[in-house]
Amino acid sequence: MSATLGDYVEWLGQGEIREIERLAGFLGPLRVQHINSTAEGGGVAEILHRLIPLKKEVGLHPQWTVIEGEQAFFDATKAFHNALHGRRTEISREAFHVFRETGKKNLNKVQRDADVVVIHDPQPLPLVEARDQTRARWVWRCHIDLSEADPRVWGFLRGFVERFDAAIFHLPEYTQHVGIDQYLLMPAIDPLSEKNRDLPSGEVQKVLERFSVDPERPILLQVSRFDYLKDPLGVLEAYRKVKRWADCQLVLAGGGASDDPEGERVYREVLSRVDDADVHVLQLPPDSHREINALQRAATIVIQKSIKEGFGLVVTEAMWKGKPVIGGNVGGIRRQVLHGVTGFLVNTVEGAAFRIRQLLSDPVLRQRMGEQARELVRSRFLLPHYLRNWLLVLLALRNPGRGVFRLGLPAD
Amino acid sequence: METRFVFYGEAGLPVYANFRADGLRSLLKGIETVSGSSIYYHFHHALFRRHFITSDYLNDFARWVWLHLNEPSLAEKLASLDPVDYGTVREAREALWRLIREAVGASESVFRVPEGEEFYFSELRSFVYPVGLEATDLESFGRVLDQVPDGSLLYHFIAAAARLGHPRNDFSLWLEFLGEEELARQFDRVSPYAYNLHQLRARMVELIRARLDHVRDAG
Repeated sequence: MSATLGDYVEWLGQGEIREIERLAGFLGPLRVQHINSTAEGGGVAEILHRLIPLKKEVGLHPQWTVIEGEQAFFDATKAFHNALHGRRTEISREAFHVFRETGKKNLNKVQRDADVVVIHDPQPLPLVEARDQTRARWVWRCHIDLSEADPRVWGFLRGFVERFDAAIFHLPEYTQHVGIDQYLLMPAIDPLSEKNRDLPSGEVQKVLERFSVDPERPILLQVSRFDYLKDPLGVLEAYRKVKRWADCQLVLAGGGASDDPEGERVYREVLSRVDDADVHVLQLPPDSHREINALQRAATIVIQKSIKEGFGLVVTEAMWKGKPVIGGNVGGIRRQVLHGVTGFLVNTVEGAAFRIRQLLSDPVLRQRMGEQARELVRSRFLLPHYLRNWLLVLLALRNPGRGVFRLGLPAD
Repeated sequence: METRFVFYGEAGLPVYANFRADGLRSLLKGIETVSGSSIYYHFHHALFRRHFITSDYLNDFARWVWLHLNEPSLAEKLASLDPVDYGTVREAREALWRLIREAVGASESVFRVPEGEEFYFSELRSFVYPVGLEATDLESFGRVLDQVPDGSLLYHFIAAAARLGHPRNDFSLWLEFLGEEELARQFDRVSPYAYNLHQLRARMVELIRARLDHVRDAG
C-alpha cells in the first residue's frame, strides 16, 4: 500500500505537511503528465513510483507515460547519455535520425488535455513537437550532470529544450545557456521505501551471513554500479592502504551490470584484483532494495568515491541510516557530505584512506557525524520536500514572472 | 493592526539567475547586477536554509568566500552582516558591495576558482500564502506558532525587515499591539543568528509559555 503524507509527519512535523496541502490547494486538480523512457529500473522510475501517489493524494491529477522505442533508439540514447556526461563517444548520423523518428512515433502519447507536461531526461525530448496540439506548459526535468556535455549532442538536444517553458536541474552547476527559466530542484529519498525503511536487526544479520560478511568487525561499504566514474578500483586501493593499520572488511555492492557491457568489464576487473577474503564484491539484482538497506545499516563507514556524480542518492540513503560518508569531492556529493560535519570529502585514494583510518579509530566522531548526516537528510532530502518543491514548480509555471507571487490574497 | 494575527507562509523555488562568479571581481559584478530577488535569496533566505551544519556562515556569499576564495577576513565581515538589520534589499546589496569592493585588489589570494567551484547566482520565485491558522490572544498565538510551517517563520520573522522596511518583525509588532511590550522586546532580542529554525521556534514558544505562566501565577 502506498504511503500517505500523514506517514511523514514524524520526520517533517505538522507544519511542513500543512504547507504542502495548502500549496496543492492553490493548484487544484491540475493534470500533470510525466513522460520518461522506462517504467522500472533507474532513479527516475524509482522516484516517480513514490511521487505519483502523493501527488494524487494532494489533489493533482498526475499521469505517467512511458515512451516506446526499438533497440537502436536505446543504443542511441545510451550514447547520448555518455556524451552528455562528458565521455568521448562516437555517435553516428543514423543515431540522431533514429532519435527524431522515435520521437515522432510517440507523439500520440502526449495527453492532449494535460495542463503540464513533464519530460524526464533526454530520451522523450522530441515529444515537444506535440506542444502546439496542447494547451499545456512544458517543462524538461534533467536528471543528468550537463556541466561537461559533449557540444555536438547538447547542441542537437538544445533545439528541443529551448521549446520548453522551463527546465529543472539538480544543481546550478548543471544549468546551461538556454533562453528559458532553469529551476533548481534537488532530489530526495523516501524513508518509507524498501531501501530506506527500518529493518529488524535479525534481517540485517541474515543479509550479512548470506554474503559471508562478519558482523563483529568494521565494514566499509560502497554501493554503486560497476563504473569507472564510481572509482571502485580506487576504493579497493584505499582499503588496502588502511588494512595495513586497521582490521576491516570492504563490501563493494552494485547491480544492473549484466546489461551494461562496460559495467561487466569493470566488475571483472575489480574481481581480478581481489586477493583478500575480507573484500566482498557483490553483483546484486536490480530489486535488491532490502539487501542494500541491510548492508548500509550494517556498515561502519560508507564510501562514495565517485569521480563524477549527478546527485548521489546512494549517499543520501547512507546518511539517512546515520552513517558518516567519505565521498568524492564532486557534484551532488558536495551538497550532502559537509566536510568534517556529515563526513569527509576526498579527492584522492590517499585522502580516502586517511579519512577511513581517522573514522575507524574514532567511534565518537563516527557517531556524531552519523547523527548530523541523518539530520541533514531529515531536514532537506526526504520525499515530501521533493513534492513540495514540485508544487512550487507547478505554481511557477502557472504564474510566470519574477519575484514574489501572492496566493489566495488580494493583489498589492 | 488587526486584533487577530493571521499567519502567512513563504515558500520559494530557486531559479538560476544566469550569472556566475569565478573570483572576487566577478562576485562584485554579480552583486551589482543581479536582481533584488537574487540578493534576497543568498542573503536573507540563506538564514532560513541555515542549519547547524552551516552555522559558521550566515549567508551564501560569506560561505563561498571562505571555502573557495580562501579569504577568511572578508568572509568574517560578510558573515557579520545581519539580514535582520537591513530594511531593504537595496541596503543589503550596498553593504555587501562595500565590503567586497574594499577587498578587490587588496587581498586576493585566489584570482579565479577552478571550473565547477564558481558562485552561481540564483534567485527566488517566492509564493506567499495564508497558512490557514490565526491567533486571537497570547495563548492561541503560542499554540499556533508551534504548528505553522518553517516558511511562516521566514515570512514573519526573518524576511519581515526587508518587507516592512524597518528592523522589526511581525510577531513583535503584534505582541506590542496586544499590550505585551516586554514580551515584544524579548522577541526583538531573539536573534536568528543564534538558532536554527527549529530552535528559533522553540525559543519563541518558550518565551510565550513563560509569560503565560507568569500571568497565571500573578492572577
